[in-house]
Amino acid sequence: MQQLLNGLFLGSLYALFAIGFTLVFGILDRLNLAHPAVFAAAAFVGIELVAVGGLSIWVALPLVALVGAVLGLIIERVAFRPLKGRPDAHFAGLISSIGLGGMVIALLLWRYGPDTRRFPIEAFPTQTFEVLGARVTVLQAALLVISVVLMAGLTWLVARTRLGRAMRAVAENPRAATVLGINVDRVTATTFALSSALGAVAGALFAMNVNSAQLGMGSAIELKGLAVIIVGGMGSLPGALVGGLVLGLAEVFAVQYIGSSWRDLVAFGLLFLLLVVRPQGLFGSRRVREV
Amino acid sequence: MTESLVVFIALNAIFAFSFYAVLVAGQLSLGQAGFAAVGGFTAAALAPEPRDAGELPTLLLAIVVGMVVGALAAVVLGLPTMHLRGVFLAIATLGFAEAVRILLINAEWTGGANGMSVPKIVTPAIAWVCLALVAYWFWRQGPSSYGRALAAIREDELAARAMGIDVGRHRLSAFVTAGAVAGLYGVLWAFYVRLLAPEDFAFGTAIDGLVMAVVGGSTTWLGPLLGSGFLTAVPEVQRALGVEAGWVRPFVASLLLLLVIVFLPGGLGSLIPRVRVRVPKDGAGAEGGGRLVERPRTAEGEAVVRVRGGNKDYGGVHAVRDVDLDVASGEVVGLIGPNGAGKTTLVNMISGVVPPSSGSFEVLGTTPGRTAVHKVAQAGVSRTFQHSKLFPRLSALENVLVGAHVVSRPTFLRRLLWLPGARRDEQDVVAHAARCLDRVGLADRAGEDASSLSYGDQRRLEIARALASGPSLLILDEPAAGMNHVEADSLSELIGSLAREGLTILLIEHNVGMVMKTCDRIVVLNFGEVIATGTPAEIIEDPAVIEAYLGGDDAGPARETEEVR
Repeated sequence: MQQLLNGLFLGSLYALFAIGFTLVFGILDRLNLAHPAVFAAAAFVGIELVAVGGLSIWVALPLVALVGAVLGLIIERVAFRPLKGRPDAHFAGLISSIGLGGMVIALLLWRYGPDTRRFPIEAFPTQTFEVLGARVTVLQAALLVISVVLMAGLTWLVARTRLGRAMRAVAENPRAATVLGINVDRVTATTFALSSALGAVAGALFAMNVNSAQLGMGSAIELKGLAVIIVGGMGSLPGALVGGLVLGLAEVFAVQYIGSSWRDLVAFGLLFLLLVVRPQGLFGSRRVREV
Repeated sequence: MTESLVVFIALNAIFAFSFYAVLVAGQLSLGQAGFAAVGGFTAAALAPEPRDAGELPTLLLAIVVGMVVGALAAVVLGLPTMHLRGVFLAIATLGFAEAVRILLINAEWTGGANGMSVPKIVTPAIAWVCLALVAYWFWRQGPSSYGRALAAIREDELAARAMGIDVGRHRLSAFVTAGAVAGLYGVLWAFYVRLLAPEDFAFGTAIDGLVMAVVGGSTTWLGPLLGSGFLTAVPEVQRALGVEAGWVRPFVASLLLLLVIVFLPGGLGSLIPRVRVRVPKDGAGAEGGGRLVERPRTAEGEAVVRVRGGNKDYGGVHAVRDVDLDVASGEVVGLIGPNGAGKTTLVNMISGVVPPSSGSFEVLGTTPGRTAVHKVAQAGVSRTFQHSKLFPRLSALENVLVGAHVVSRPTFLRRLLWLPGARRDEQDVVAHAARCLDRVGLADRAGEDASSLSYGDQRRLEIARALASGPSLLILDEPAAGMNHVEADSLSELIGSLAREGLTILLIEHNVGMVMKTCDRIVVLNFGEVIATGTPAEIIEDPAVIEAYLGGDDAGPARETEEVR
């Protein structure tokens, strides 16, 4: 039971991170590899807000989301918009976002140095409670609740609101969306802001969960984020949620039953099998090839 | 320039070439780190002690082992993943590379995470000789028929299939090349750094290789070298300039990466003017072509197309319903009907691009739908598409050269050895392609990018490309769309002259005047069904046709705005 819950906590963070990835992919058909840098930046900024600014972690989280949104706008503007309409935009977007991500990490290095940072220990609530015989901290419970609420909110936004409709229209056909009076650039920028805000919250929560932030934490989760969106189906929001939970649970149980050194093999083995058997993922729909 | 910098530029360039090998075919793979890892570790484990065997033989043996193992790993990974495209392929291959790394860390014979001690044999000279050989390979590959086929696949896979290119085989062979080159990198790396660890081939390594290949550009074989030189040297130059270590160096390196990719589409390689295939001055008019592959010819009157009960449903929509169609050799058959009548769907099924829902299709001895598209093309079917599907970043001449794929002899291996026959073959194909271009009146546009041609010129280029394969059956899907009167008239003459040479033509066209003038027989489709068939004179009198086009009393208002002339 304890393992199951640990898997759920970990998986919900993976899902929150991956949902930002998949949101951009679903709409633009591009992978934003600066996303992991936002994840890391958010952790450091969150720690600074709490440790230096003396804010409570619950106040710091929305601020971190704001920082993430601003970073998202910058990423869209600098690394993606200039590539619009280029035939090689697929590869070029990967590289330009890697470049921008590298710049963000270098700036973090400048401001925070290469060492691991931690939240002050008194920042966390200390109560724990028991769920079906397993021990859960308030923080862990909050992680799960925040992740699920954010993901549900995003799903609602995409499915129900005017903005969400515009996003889906851009995903379907940007040119047609323009003709219908949708400001494609603005919708795209908003998508990036949303995606990065979620990635930022994931980063801050992740740092709280393990109480440490490192410059390399983004690249460590990057691969898992990619695995999650493949498993769930590229561009599918519920898929990212299920994929994240599946991966989190698989990892926790792999550590327990097979050994920690084989943990990642389980994830990638699953990923590989799934891609070969069902490339569109669990929840993705196969695109019809056009003639 | 320290020795290690000189060696690392060469090694990184070789690694970048392993990405270049698949990028030229439009594939994004991140599995190269895995190929390098299995190649490097296997070679290091199997290689004899340099003390016993001598340094150079040891290294040569290791290189052979590493390249073979890398190539085998590519086959193993490639067979189940070749149906994946774009980012999906990248992530599947990445998953493979990570799995390999974890297996190596957990294996006994590799020394686990601590790594494996390997003698240092590679010198700057050895590294650069290896690089030169790899670069030579790709230099000779580029302008060969194989290299052009890969470029065509990158530009438009479906059009490449329709030109008779076996896309699966070509993609797999590009992948295997990447595996062998990555294996070479793994071996050279192992025999230079002394201590070989699985971490040397982690995710970051794969990303570095991809970055170098893309920054260098995949439009020229010098690209990987430029990319490696740039990215390997930037930190060194900064150190030489006294730039502060720590955050400034990675910041500047990332900034440069961003600037290059945003402001230099095509990478650093785009700074070098591209060598285009040129039409030899005297070759264009000459009657060469003796070295082209002979295509089988159909006898006059022989059945070319035989469709019985052809059906295609999309969900509940019957695009084509119980169509029977026969085309005999030497006939020019027009296919007309209102928009949405199923004309394009029918020819898509005949050329094998779309599988039929039911019905029997026989075209030149193949069964489209069951026979692969490239095999149908190789049997002698050549087509244009309703919406032009040219290879946009290839020149007009190169587009036609790809069209000539099935009649050109493979030249790559002979080009590697500089055999004179390869050059003559190439010249013959170029001359043949130039004649095709000349035929549609585009001889003076040979060197221009297909994407920069006007709409009408693009349509004509597609016809030239389709002609270049020396087809038995030519399918033209609305060739005159978007053309003005003068252009349409000259197109009409071209089709007439092709018909007089005995070519079988299936023509979809809305310009009814043109169809009346050029076709022996006309088939009229409406709502997916054949409503009339006959000579032009019969068709123009047919009441069903008039009703379909102008709308009868009970058919409501006309669905169509096309004019019948």
